[in-house]
Amino acid sequence: MNPKEEKVKIITEEFDENDEDAGVGSQKKTSKMARQKRKKPLPAAGPEEMVSENPHLGNQPEPLQEDSDTRPLSMTTRRGPRSLPPIPSASRTGFAEFSMRERMREKLQAARSKAESTLLQEIPTPRPRRLQSPGEKELETEFGAEPGEEAQKTQQEDDSQSRSRVKFRDSVRKIKTKPPVPPGFPSAEEAYNFFTFNFDPEPEESEEKPKAKNRDGTTQEEEEGEEEEPPVQGIHKTDEQLLISATEAEAFLWGLDHAAADFVAVRPADYESAHVRLQMEKELLFVPSRLTVPTYKKLPENVQPRYLEDEGLYIGTRPDVPRTCQNIMENRLLTQEPGRRWFGDDGRIVALPNPIKPFPSRPPVLTQEQDFRAELETLYKKAVKYVHRSQHMIGSGDSPGNFQLDIDISGLIFTHHPCFSREHVLAAKLAQLYDQYLARHQRNKAKFLTDKLQALRNAVQTGLNPEKTHKSLDTTQKTINEYKSEIRQTRKLRDAEQEKDRMLLKTIIKVWKEMKSLREFQRFTNTPLKLVLRKEKVDQKADEEAYEAEIQAEISELLEEHMEEHEQKMEAYRAAYQQWKAWKKAQRAKKKKKKQAVEEHPEEEMGEPYPEEDPVKPVPPEPTDRALMEHQVRERAARSRRRPGEPLLVPELSLAGSVTPNEQCPRVEVLRREDVKRRSIYLKVIFNDKEVSRTDSRPLGADFRVHFGQIFNLQIFNWPESLTLQVYETVGHSGTTLLAEVFLPIPETTIVTGRAPIEEVEFSSNQHVTLDHEGVGSGMPFSFEADGSNQLILMTSGKVSNSVAWAIGENGIPLIPPLSQQNIGFRSALKRADAISSIGTSGLTDLKKLAKWAAESKLDPNDPNNAPLMQLISVATSGESYVPDFFRLEQLQQEFNFVSDEELNRSKRFRLLCLRSQEVPEFRNYKQIPAYDREIMEKVFQDYEKWLRDRNVIETKDHIDPHRAMVAKYLQQVRESVINRFLIAKHHFLLSDLIVEEEVPNISILGLSLFKLAEQKRPLRPRRKGRKKVTAQNLSDGDIKVLVNIIRAYDIPVRKPTASKFQQPSRSSRTFSEKHAASPTTHSPTHSADYPLGQVLVRPFVEVSFQRTICHTTTAEGPNPSWNEELELPFRAPNGDYSTSSLQSVKDDVFINIFDEVLYDVLEDDRERGSGIHTRIERHWLGCVKIPFSTIYFQAKIDGTFKIDIPPVLLGYSKERSMIIERGFDSVRSLSEGSYITLFITMEPQLVPGESVREKFDSQEDEKLLQATEKFQAECALKFPHRQCLTTVTDISGKTVFITRYLKPLNPPQELLEGCPNNPQATAELVARYVSLIPFLPDAVSFAGICDLWSTSDQFLDLLAGDEEEHAVLLCNYFLSLGKKAWLVMGSAIPEGPTAYVLTREQSHYLIWNPCSGHFYGQFDTFCPLKSVGCLIGPDNIWFNIQRHDSPLRINFDVTKPKLWKSFFSRSLLYPGLSSVQPEELIYQRTDKAAAAELQDRIEKILKEKIMDWRPRHLTRWNRYCTSALRHFLPLLERSRGEDVEDDHRGELLKQLGDYRFSGFPLHMPYSELKPLIEAVYSTGVHNIDVPNVEFALAVYIHPYPKNVLSVWIYVASLIRNR
Amino acid sequence: MAAAGPSVFLLMVNGQVESAQFPEYDDLYCKYCFVYGQDWAPTAGLEEGISQITSKSQDVRQALVWNFPIDVTFKSTNPYGWPQIVLSVYGPDVFGNDVVRGYGAVHLPFSPGRHKRTIPMFVPESTSKLQKFTSWFMGRRPEYTDPKVVAQGEGREGENAEAERLKAAQLMLPFSSQ
Repeated sequence: MNPKEEKVKIITEEFDENDEDAGVGSQKKTSKMARQKRKKPLPAAGPEEMVSENPHLGNQPEPLQEDSDTRPLSMTTRRGPRSLPPIPSASRTGFAEFSMRERMREKLQAARSKAESTLLQEIPTPRPRRLQSPGEKELETEFGAEPGEEAQKTQQEDDSQSRSRVKFRDSVRKIKTKPPVPPGFPSAEEAYNFFTFNFDPEPEESEEKPKAKNRDGTTQEEEEGEEEEPPVQGIHKTDEQLLISATEAEAFLWGLDHAAADFVAVRPADYESAHVRLQMEKELLFVPSRLTVPTYKKLPENVQPRYLEDEGLYIGTRPDVPRTCQNIMENRLLTQEPGRRWFGDDGRIVALPNPIKPFPSRPPVLTQEQDFRAELETLYKKAVKYVHRSQHMIGSGDSPGNFQLDIDISGLIFTHHPCFSREHVLAAKLAQLYDQYLARHQRNKAKFLTDKLQALRNAVQTGLNPEKTHKSLDTTQKTINEYKSEIRQTRKLRDAEQEKDRMLLKTIIKVWKEMKSLREFQRFTNTPLKLVLRKEKVDQKADEEAYEAEIQAEISELLEEHMEEHEQKMEAYRAAYQQWKAWKKAQRAKKKKKKQAVEEHPEEEMGEPYPEEDPVKPVPPEPTDRALMEHQVRERAARSRRRPGEPLLVPELSLAGSVTPNEQCPRVEVLRREDVKRRSIYLKVIFNDKEVSRTDSRPLGADFRVHFGQIFNLQIFNWPESLTLQVYETVGHSGTTLLAEVFLPIPETTIVTGRAPIEEVEFSSNQHVTLDHEGVGSGMPFSFEADGSNQLILMTSGKVSNSVAWAIGENGIPLIPPLSQQNIGFRSALKRADAISSIGTSGLTDLKKLAKWAAESKLDPNDPNNAPLMQLISVATSGESYVPDFFRLEQLQQEFNFVSDEELNRSKRFRLLCLRSQEVPEFRNYKQIPAYDREIMEKVFQDYEKWLRDRNVIETKDHIDPHRAMVAKYLQQVRESVINRFLIAKHHFLLSDLIVEEEVPNISILGLSLFKLAEQKRPLRPRRKGRKKVTAQNLSDGDIKVLVNIIRAYDIPVRKPTASKFQQPSRSSRTFSEKHAASPTTHSPTHSADYPLGQVLVRPFVEVSFQRTICHTTTAEGPNPSWNEELELPFRAPNGDYSTSSLQSVKDDVFINIFDEVLYDVLEDDRERGSGIHTRIERHWLGCVKIPFSTIYFQAKIDGTFKIDIPPVLLGYSKERSMIIERGFDSVRSLSEGSYITLFITMEPQLVPGESVREKFDSQEDEKLLQATEKFQAECALKFPHRQCLTTVTDISGKTVFITRYLKPLNPPQELLEGCPNNPQATAELVARYVSLIPFLPDAVSFAGICDLWSTSDQFLDLLAGDEEEHAVLLCNYFLSLGKKAWLVMGSAIPEGPTAYVLTREQSHYLIWNPCSGHFYGQFDTFCPLKSVGCLIGPDNIWFNIQRHDSPLRINFDVTKPKLWKSFFSRSLLYPGLSSVQPEELIYQRTDKAAAAELQDRIEKILKEKIMDWRPRHLTRWNRYCTSALRHFLPLLERSRGEDVEDDHRGELLKQLGDYRFSGFPLHMPYSELKPLIEAVYSTGVHNIDVPNVEFALAVYIHPYPKNVLSVWIYVASLIRNR
Repeated sequence: MAAAGPSVFLLMVNGQVESAQFPEYDDLYCKYCFVYGQDWAPTAGLEEGISQITSKSQDVRQALVWNFPIDVTFKSTNPYGWPQIVLSVYGPDVFGNDVVRGYGAVHLPFSPGRHKRTIPMFVPESTSKLQKFTSWFMGRRPEYTDPKVVAQGEGREGENAEAERLKAAQLMLPFSSQ
C-alpha cells in the first residue's frame, strides 16, 4: 500500500462526512466506528491500519475527482474522525508508541501530499475548477491562524513528551481565543461547540493535518501564482485587507475552520507586485543612463573641448574601458556631483595612462593544480664542457674568452650592375624613388606638420581669449608669441615637405613615362615593374573650402606677421628718422659753424670726411600689399600643394608586369640575359682584416638580387677592429673579381642577437666595365636619348642587407668582450656613456649640448620614452650631482649590510665558518660551531694563528737537526701548494663515484653470463667471491679493521745457552766473501749441547702493533714456527675523517714484531718447588717487519713472505739452521740469509683507494713524443693489462716529463768511492746503503691523493725524502756513473706493490737492488721481493716486457731481443736525444759533524725520557757503564754496516758485564724525524720488562754521510743482575 | 642551557611517509635517512628506517600506502645544513630482484606545524641503451653508491636521471628552540 492509496482513502472519508454536512451525530457515529476500528490496530503499525480501511475506500474512488471543490471543507471536518484520540481511559503508557505512530503518519502524510500535488498536476481536467477555491481556502486558514500562531509555533517545536500537556492547554486556549473573533459569526460558536462536543480534539493530529494540507495548498498556490498572477495580486494585499474583504461564505468557512486556524498559520509567500516595487525602487535607486553624454554637459559653458594630443603633447594610452561603462560613469558623475572636476579639457574623464604592461614582467607562476608530470619532465640539455678554474693549474694561461658575433647576411641587391639594361637603370631609379616615396609616405611629415600647425593655431586662438585663461597676461603674451613663431616655422617646414612630396610624385611619374616609352621603343620588357597611379576622388567642395581656408589663414597670418614686421620697421624707421633729423640738425649747425670757422680752420675740412657719408634719409617702409601677398601665397600653394578637387594620386609599384621571353628579344638582349645568368656572387666575411668565412656562391638573378640568408657565428677573442664584407663576382668559369667592399659597423654592446634589425648597407665599386651587349656597363657613359645627349655614368652599386649582433650565451649573458679588451681610445670613451646609448643615440657625451638640444627640440618630458634622457639631463644640469664614471652592481648593498665589515670580521663565529668552508685542515671537520660568539673559546684559533705566524719561521724544536727543519718546512710548503692546486680536483666526482652501474658489457661477458644462466647449480662447490668495496666517505671509527694473518716464520734466531757462552770461541772477523759461506755446522755442537738441558731453542710469538693497539699470537716453539693466526686491529683515521684523501695520508705503520718468550724460574725457595711454580715471563725482541698503512691501503691485500728485520747484533741469540734445510734447500737459501715470515694482511671492509687525479697535465715534451707514448702504452696495455708500463711521469711542478730524462750518470759522494777503492762490489753496496739511508716517504702520504710526483735527484737529496722511484732513480744514476749497466725496473714487489727497483748487470748475472733497503738479490733469489717486472727503463730507451712470464726468476733480461722486450725507441721512432732533467753534477756538502754529535746527544736524551715515560709505575735505572760500552761499540757496527760483529761484541760485553743477564740490540734507521725513532724503540717493547731490579742501557750513534744523510744507530738493552 | 655545551636549538620531527604513486610498480618498500650539515647532530629518535612492503591499493588511486612513522630530533647551532630527508624506494622487478625504484630528497620543513610534502622521485639511468638492457636483464640497475648523494649537489653534473613519479611524506614538525 502506498501513500497515494491512503490519500485516496482519506479523501473518500472526507467525502462521506461531507454528505452529512456537519451532522454531528452521524459524524460521531463514523468517528466511533473509526475509533473502534482503531482500537484494535493501535499497537500495530500504521500501514496495517490502512490495509484494514482499504475495502472502505475501494468502492469510491471517483468522488475524489468530482468533489474536489468541497474537499477543503471536508478537510477540516474529516479531522474529527481521523483525529479521534484513544478513549480517555486509554492508559498513558501507550502514548509513546502512539506518538511514534503519529510521527510516522506525519511523514506519510507529507509524502502523500506531495504525491497528491504531483498527481493533481498530472490530471489536467479537475484543475481549472479547483483553481479559485484552494486559494481562498488558503486565505481563510491563514486568517484563522492569526490568534493561534504562537501556540502553533511552540507546538511545532515541542517534542512528543510535551504534547499531551499542550493538548489541554490548547483546548483551554480555544475558549480564550473565541472572544477576539468578530461577533455576529454564529458559525464560530457552532464550530466551537462542535469541537467542544468532541471533548478532546487531538491537537497533534489536527495540527498536522492542516499543515500537510497547507503544504499542499502552498504548492498549489505557487503553481497557480505562476499562472495567474494578476488576479491573485489584486486580492492578496495583506492579511488585514483580507480580513475586511472576506465574504459571508468565506466567513462561514472561516468559522468552521477557526479551530484549525488556532494552531496553524498558513501564509502565502510575500509578494510585491513588480509595478509597486519598481515605483519604490524609483524613489530609492538611480540608474544612470547608458547614453553618451554630450560634451557640452561635461565642460563648462561655452568652452570648446581642447585636445592636448592635437597640440602635440604626449598623452599616454588610456586604459581600455568599454564605451558604455564610461558613459554610465559620466552620467553618474554628472548627476551626483555637479562639479566638473572629473572631466578633463577634452571632455573625457580624467584618466591616468594605462598602467598595464603589454607583457608580463614576471615569469608565469605554475599553479599547484598543474599536472605534476609537466614538472617532472626531463629536459635534454647539451653537455657543457666544464672549464676548471685556472688559477690552480700550473702555467696555464688565461682562459680565452668565448665571445661571439653573429653576422646575418640575408641578401644583396644591385642598384646598378654592368649587366643592367637601360630599362633596368630606369627600373632601379624608379624603385629607388618609390622606396623614397614609401618612406616619406610612412612618415607623413606633411600631415604631421599640418596637424601641428592646426593645433598651434588653436592654441593661439584660445590664448587670445583673455576671459578663459586666468594666467597672468605677460606669460600668455609670451607663449602666444612663441606659438606664433613656431607657427611660422612649422608652416615653412610644411610647405617644404609638401613641395618635396609633390616633386617626388612628379619625378616618379616622369621616370615611369620614360620607362614606358623605352619599353615601347625596344619592343621588349626586361623588368616586371609596373607603376599604377591610383586616383582617389575627393570631395571637391570641401576640398576647395579647406584649401581656401588654409590660404586665407596663411594670408592672415602672413599679414599679421608683416604688420608686425612693418611695425618694427616703422619703429626702426622712426628711430632712424629721428636720428637722421638730429644729425641733419647737427649738420646744419655744423655747416653754419663751418661757414663761420672755415677761414680759421681750413684744415679741419680734411679732418672730418665722414660727414660726407651721412646717413641717407630713411625711407619709410612700405605697407604690405594684401593682394600681392595673396598672390604669393597662392602661387606657392599651387606649386607645392595639390589643387583643390584634383584627385589624390597614389602611385603603386608592382612586379606584376611580364618579362618578354628570350625568344622574342633581339640578340643583344639575349646575350645580356645569358651573361647575367653566368654570373654568380659570393661574399667574404673579413674580420680584423682576416677572412673568417664566406657565403655560398649564388647565381645572380635576372632581377639582380642575390639571396644568401646565411648566419655566421664568429667566435672571437678580441674586440673587433673592423668587419668587412667583400663582394665577389664570378663570371662563368673565368674567375672572380672583387666588386666592392662593404664595411659593416661593429654593433653596440647593447645590440644582441634577436634584437638587431636588418640593415642595408650600400656599396659601390669604381670598376669600369664595357659590355658588348645590351648591358649598359659600369663607369661608362651611356644615354637614353637617341642622339646620345644627356649622358649618364653609372657605377656598379648595391645594397647588402645584413645584421650584426652579439650573440647571447646560454645563460642570457651577451657574449661581448669586456671593455678592457677594447682599444683604449675613442671607442672606449664612447662605450662608457651607456646611459645615452640605451636610448639609441650613442656617442653623445657632452651633456650640456644634449640638454640644450633637448630644450631646443622641445622634447616632451612626459613621454616615458624620453625618461632616461630627461633624467640624465636633469642630473647633468642640476649641478651638484654628477654622473659617476663607475658602475655599481648593488647600489643598495650599504643599506642592507646589517653590520659593518669590521664587525663582521671580528665575529669569531663568522671566522670559524669561513675557515671551515675553506677547508683549513684544523677546522675542516669542526662540528657544531657554537651559535653565539661568546661561546667560542679564543683558544680555538690559537693553534691556527700560531701556525700562520710560524709559517715562515723555521722551528727547530721538533726537528733537532736544523737542516731537517728547513727541509720539513720546504716540504710542507710544497705540499700546501700542491694541495691547493688540486683542491678542485678533490671535489670532482666521477659518475662512478656516485652511481653504481654495471660495466658496459662486451660480448664475452654477456656470453659468459648467458652461459652461466644455463649452467648447472652446484651449491656445494665453493666459489670465490670478490669482496665488496666500500667508498671511504660514510665510515666512522671502528668500522675499519686491519686483519693480519700470521702464517709462519722461517729461521728465527735461537737462544744460545748462557752456560756455553764462555766456551764460545771468539771469532775473528770474517771477510765479505766468507760471509755467504759461513758454515752453519759450527752451530751444531752448541745446538746439540742445548738439547740436553731440555730447553727449547726458541719460543717465538708475534706481536702486531698498529696505532698503539697491540695484538699477539700464541707462542709457538722452534725456529720455524707455524702460527696461522688471524689478528684483528681496529683502525682510526686521523680526526675521524674517513675521506679518501685523509686515509691516504695516514703515516702509521703496522709493526710486526717477533719476540721470544723466555720463562725464568723465580722461585726463591727450593722447598716450595713441590707445591708451586713461580716463573716470570720475559720476552726478547728478535726482529720486526714494518709495513706502512698506505701500502695496505693501496694494495688492498698483502700476501707473501717477508724478510724479518733482525738487528745485526742480537745478544744471546744466533741463527739456527735445521738439518733438513741444510740438506734440501741449501742451494736456494745460500744466497739469502735471514729470517722470514709469511703474512697476509688486508683490511675489512675493503676500501676503495683514492684514484690519482685524472687530469692531463701540460707538458713541455714534443707533441709527437707524447702521442707516441700514448700509443705505446695503449699497445702494451692491450697485451698485458696488468704489467706496469711507464713512459711519462709528473715532475714536482706538475708537468709531464718523459721518463728517460730522469736517468743520467750522476756522481756519488766522493767519500763513498774512497771507502773501498779496489772493490767495485763493495762500493756498489756502499752506494746502495747510502741511498737507502735517505728516508722513505711515499708520495701518496705527502701529496695526499694526488699523484706520483717524481723529483729529480738533486731535489730528492735536498728534500731528503722520497719514495721508491726517487731512490731507484738515484741509485740507478749512481750505478751508471760507476760504469755499471743499470736499468730502472718498474714492477710490483711485496709489500710495496707497484714500485721501482734497480737492475744491474754484473759480469755474468743480473742483480736486483732494492733501493729503499739497500739490499740486493740475485735474479734467481726466491726471496727477492720483486715479484713481477713490467718494464725496464734505461737512460735512452724503455723496454716493455712482452715475455709470457713476468717473474724475475723466469724472464730473460736481455733487452736486445726484440721478441722479449718491446722497445719504445726503435727504428721506426729513433731516439731523438732527449736532454736530461737531472743536474750536471751533484754537489755534496760535508755534513757538520758537530751538529751530528749534538743531535746524537739530544736523541739519546729524548729517548731516555720516553722510556721513563712509558714505565710510569716502575723505576727506570740507567746503567751508565753499559751505556758507555754500547756507545763505544756502535761506530763499529756502522763501519761494518751491521755485519757480523756479533761475536766480538758479545765477548767484549760479557767481559765487561759479567754478572748481568743482558738482552738488547742495536736498531738502525735512516734519520728523518724523531717520531719514527721513538716508534721503533717503543715497538721493541724493551720498556715492558718489569723485573724489579732491571737496569737499562741506551746508546745512540749518528754517522753523518754527505749531504746531511744521517745513519742512526740506537742500542737499547735491559740488564738484570745475575744472582 | 648548560654551561658545558654551546647553546643549541632543537628540531623535532614527527611524521610519516604516507603513500606513493608508482603507477607501474607494486610491492614496494621504502627507506629513509637524513642528511644534515656538520653543525647538526641527532639527539633522539631514529635516523634511518626501512618500511614494510606495501601493495597497491585496489581503487583508482592505486596508492602505495606505508604510513611509516618518522620521529627524530636534531640539535644544531647553525641553520646551515638543515636536515634533508632522503627517501629511496625499492621493489622487485620482473625477475624478483630487488631494484631501486626511486630516490628523492626534501628539506625538513622550516616552520612548525603540519606539512605535507610531495617528493618527486627519480632513478639514475643507464648510460647506454645496451647497459639499460643488460641492467634490466641482470636486475642490477644503476644505483647511487649512497642514497644520501641525492641530497648533495657535488658531482651530479654528468648524471642522467629518469624522473619518476611522486610520493608524499607528511611531516609534522613541532619546533622548539633553546
